[in-house]
Amino acid sequence: MPEQPPSPGDDLVQALVDDEIREDVAPDEATIHTAAVEAGPEIERLKERKGKGLGFSAWLAIGWLAMIVILGFAAPILPIPDPVADATPALARQGPSADHIMGLDGSGRDVFSRVIWGMRNSLFIGAVSVLIGLVVGGSLGVISGYFKGKLGGFIGASLDVLLAFPPLILALSIVTFLGRTVPNVTLSLAIVSIPVLARIARASTLSWSEREFVLAARAQGAKHFRIMRREILPNVLPAMFSIALLGIAVVIVAEGGLAIIGAGVKPDVTTWGNIIVSGQGDLRDASHIVLFPSFCIFFTVLALNFLGDVVRAKFDVRESSL
Amino acid sequence: MRTILIKLVRLVIVVWIITLFSFTLIKLTGGNNDLVSKIIPFGSEQQKDILREDLGLQDPFFTQYFRWLGDFLTGDFGNIYTPNPQPVSETLAEALPVSLELMIYAQVLALVIAIPLGVATAYRNGTKFDRSTNTIAFGLLALPNFVVALLLAIYVGAKWGWLPTQSNLIPFPLNPIDNWQYMLMPTIALALGQIAIYMRLLRSDMIATLQEDFTTTAKAKGIPTRRVLFRHALRPSSLTLLTVAGLNVGALIGGAVVVERIFNLPGIGSRLTEAILAQQYVAVQSYVALIAIFYILINFFVDVLYTVLDPRIRHARAAA
Repeated sequence: MPEQPPSPGDDLVQALVDDEIREDVAPDEATIHTAAVEAGPEIERLKERKGKGLGFSAWLAIGWLAMIVILGFAAPILPIPDPVADATPALARQGPSADHIMGLDGSGRDVFSRVIWGMRNSLFIGAVSVLIGLVVGGSLGVISGYFKGKLGGFIGASLDVLLAFPPLILALSIVTFLGRTVPNVTLSLAIVSIPVLARIARASTLSWSEREFVLAARAQGAKHFRIMRREILPNVLPAMFSIALLGIAVVIVAEGGLAIIGAGVKPDVTTWGNIIVSGQGDLRDASHIVLFPSFCIFFTVLALNFLGDVVRAKFDVRESSL
Repeated sequence: MRTILIKLVRLVIVVWIITLFSFTLIKLTGGNNDLVSKIIPFGSEQQKDILREDLGLQDPFFTQYFRWLGDFLTGDFGNIYTPNPQPVSETLAEALPVSLELMIYAQVLALVIAIPLGVATAYRNGTKFDRSTNTIAFGLLALPNFVVALLLAIYVGAKWGWLPTQSNLIPFPLNPIDNWQYMLMPTIALALGQIAIYMRLLRSDMIATLQEDFTTTAKAKGIPTRRVLFRHALRPSSLTLLTVAGLNVGALIGGAVVVERIFNLPGIGSRLTEAILAQQYVAVQSYVALIAIFYILINFFVDVLYTVLDPRIRHARAAA
């Protein structure tokens, strides 16, 4: 019987399981989420038609993300009312109409404008915190995977302490005590994503650093830093990029969760999470306040999950060499 | 035995670091005066002095830490300094059972639905049923638990009025039916994402197992398909699932905090949120430390369970 090719996600899970046994650590929430996203059959069709472009769904996802990024960037110059100051209390809780396509919230503010400004802030928080996590966590992961000895052990142990907190609890404690501002929320979510991304970089580095071309580079007298940068990093990056897309999705959701438990950005900054919080009191009579930002979060996370999966399938070096 | 001992030592170290971290958190809020006036914003100068004295804020950092740690270890988790003060430990007695109940329900519901679905989609790998189930699961992965919770609260709770949303939660022993009515929506909100995760991971392992020779042998012997799937193939396929289910408690805790808040369930999550909103930093500190320690203990327990139950698992996986 011919051997079944491993389904997408299996090798990532396997690498993490190997690392787990070696280092005796537990997988974390975000890694589990990633593994689950990548474990399905969605990408198989894409693989079958390799080299024939991305497919309709992927373009749809890119289109949605491009749209919200552009709208988010353009929010200050768009002809929309101010998300916080422009309120018409007389029309509060009014449903969608021609003037206000997403209706008005409990204070009479335009929900459409708030959703656009929410894009700007929520995406900023998501992208920047994952970027910080990627740079810091990625470097720590590659270093600790490359120097397996004491240095690697020390970095690994420190990251494990961070992973010892349930992610949302760690984030909320940092925000609560530092203050509810955009930089603090971003920082807290960056701190949460550092160990996750570091572990993936580490697991991936461990498997790459045992390959012949690394040995060859070492035999030629290449310095450690050069080997990490020129030999290992290019191989680790595609996986990291895929995880980073999924990470942004996780962070956008986390921002919403933080806002709901009162540990997000202060209500005067419009984020998707804060719009939802502002509508929580009006679920029966004005559910549109909650529904529109919820849909935005759903479609954005869906698009990011899907693209993360596509990126991994497209850039998987080992699979494409088969 | 030795591995368990090493794990135990590591557990103690991590718990110690967690207490140190949680204690340090409160120092991030700014100076002592700042802290006191945030905790009791409307207190008189005299009351503030008493609180300052009570928290021992004038002492050096480590004196404060070890006093706090001593109190913490003996079950004194500080007070909630609202107009009617209450010790944190008292709130735990009421809140903890609610949170545990919610998490256990969600976990059980998720596994009960995910296991048959995972097995069925793996068996029918590539069919329409498989693809559509997976597409739905992929969508569920993108649906945050608070969105599910809000959708349920809007439609099932507020608009159609099928289930109560206001929490007059009746403890399970008094009236199971009423208790379940209140618990149903929070449980579904918390379980839905987990179902998708567990199902997809089980499916992927199961597909591999169904390719193995022993499955073919079992089929060739004429054993009914259902028996092959659930008796022969499920067990070797469930390793990832069990590990993930055991260790996904972090997601469950975070989710429970958010979902409790939305449904006003009087669990630890609601208490924590109330403490955050009322700037009760002493209480927040204790809740954070308690939740983190609970999480660590669960992880430790699951880990030891594996080592004790089946040492072959680790060896087999290490060799693979």
